[in-house]
Amino acid sequence: MFHKRLSQFIIVYLLGLAFLFFIKAVLNLSDYVIPSPVEIYDTGLKVFLRYIPDVLNTLSVAIIGHVLSIVMATIVGIISRLSNWMGSFIKTAAFNIQAYPIVAVAPIIFILLGDGLSSRLLIAAMICYFPLLLSFIGILSEPVTDIEHFYVYSGKMRWQLEVKIRAFENMNKLVTVVSGSATLAMVGTIVAEFIGASKGIGYSIRIALYQSDLSKILIALFLIGIFTSLYLAFLEWLGNMLVRNWRAKA
Amino acid sequence: MKNMKNNLRIIVLLVTLIAIIVPSGCGKKDTEMTKVSYRLKWLFNTSVAGDIYADVHGFFAKEGLEVEVKEGGPELDAIKELEMGHAQFGVASADQVIRAVSKGAPIVVLAQLFQINPLQWIYRSDENKINKIEDIKGKTIGITFGGNDEAIMKALILKNGIREEEVSFFSVRYDYTPFYERRVAFWPVYRNAEGVIIGDKLEKAKEPVSFFDPNNYGIHFVANSVITTENMIKQHPETVKKFVTALTEAWNEALNPANLDKTVETIHRFDKDTQLDTIRRQLEITRQLMKPSEKTVFGTIDVNAWKQTERIMLEQKLISAPVNIEKRLWK
Repeated sequence: MFHKRLSQFIIVYLLGLAFLFFIKAVLNLSDYVIPSPVEIYDTGLKVFLRYIPDVLNTLSVAIIGHVLSIVMATIVGIISRLSNWMGSFIKTAAFNIQAYPIVAVAPIIFILLGDGLSSRLLIAAMICYFPLLLSFIGILSEPVTDIEHFYVYSGKMRWQLEVKIRAFENMNKLVTVVSGSATLAMVGTIVAEFIGASKGIGYSIRIALYQSDLSKILIALFLIGIFTSLYLAFLEWLGNMLVRNWRAKA
Repeated sequence: MKNMKNNLRIIVLLVTLIAIIVPSGCGKKDTEMTKVSYRLKWLFNTSVAGDIYADVHGFFAKEGLEVEVKEGGPELDAIKELEMGHAQFGVASADQVIRAVSKGAPIVVLAQLFQINPLQWIYRSDENKINKIEDIKGKTIGITFGGNDEAIMKALILKNGIREEEVSFFSVRYDYTPFYERRVAFWPVYRNAEGVIIGDKLEKAKEPVSFFDPNNYGIHFVANSVITTENMIKQHPETVKKFVTALTEAWNEALNPANLDKTVETIHRFDKDTQLDTIRRQLEITRQLMKPSEKTVFGTIDVNAWKQTERIMLEQKLISAPVNIEKRLWK
């Protein structure tokens, strides 16, 4: 799975690079607009190792933000399924907050919390939390009538059982949503670093952008892609394990 | 036969009508006007007074140019737009130009907008007495890592024999809180833009401010300039001349104290969020930076300053080899 994910990413990345070189050749652009393969290679030699700790730093914040979002979305998703009014209120609030562009909200967060870990974490969580929440609410509010009606009529239905049934029956959906939101957590962290933090690969991209150095940005994107693919593959593996174990128990 | 005659009459009538309408219609003016696009470095504000003045008051039109003046922004790069053909003229900072030339970009500098770099450091003058350069030792200085303020400040301390360990650098972003909270003593600002606004805020809070200008300590790092491509100069030399003429005339008019109100009103049309009084003061400072003396000819390219800028970038390894920037300065 890991191998497949990595090779898929590398193919996409190389196709992207090939497209850039094609544009460069057709439009006869200088290395300032699109760097040459030699320049990208040279830059790679210089910054590859330096960027790895930056990406790991970003990834660690993204993972923490992602886990926090999953926990919060699960709790709020369970609470919101208790009543129609609460569910609809939380949904509306989530849609509304999601509609605010993070670049507009981020400066306020940085002013209030500073440019440290907490701001990056909050922004990462904000970006991946709301889509997760909406999916969780949708999944946990949808009755599995075939199974649930037996427990309802026999008077044995409790909210814990209801959540279990719905989660179990939609486990594949939940795994897809959780692994899909991992990329959002990574994007959120990078955006936060790009806007205001002073650590992580987003900050390095910001500096490279000040220096109009696209080759550094391309190296950073390569590393981001590699580590994000690994994280996604890990989540998929974890999800599959979980589904298998649950099914075996059931 | 009769039908054929009628058809012929109709065709002749249509051809005659078209022949009358086309040359005398609105198309005539359009065919004579040369359309070009001009990408600015930053948003519409006092720093681009002459550019919008040229557009609004018909300086481009007088030269037969129809110019689309486009706002700049943090992620927009005029040099890249020129190469891609999205614009024919643009504004870029000297470090951008030198970096681009070092990577083979076919860029030519047409006019230097600022004779004194507006990038300066604001500081509280009652808490920081700066009479000589050594007085910055031990201070916390804000710089944008990767930005030209980093290059300027590092060149300044190197030139004056101060070691990097003797000052503390603080990574600057858009948020001024560290400066307001006194965690940073010197904060980089554009003297003619946010320098006025922040200065006002602090003055109101009874905190007197001053500006630390590297220019006073021998660092003449060039700021924004008007640029075009080598192709444009080769293929459309007349358009380039007309553009520079229109722009220079407009800037001279815009900076003329006699036209102060007219210029302020023109800027305000595009920059509604800034108060007229603030624009007025920003414009006065802009004049001092662009035309430091009566004799200064607007747009003069300071070749020595360009050479120094290149030298600084070379010393700081921002470019890998000399680019002979003087060869890219339009004569």
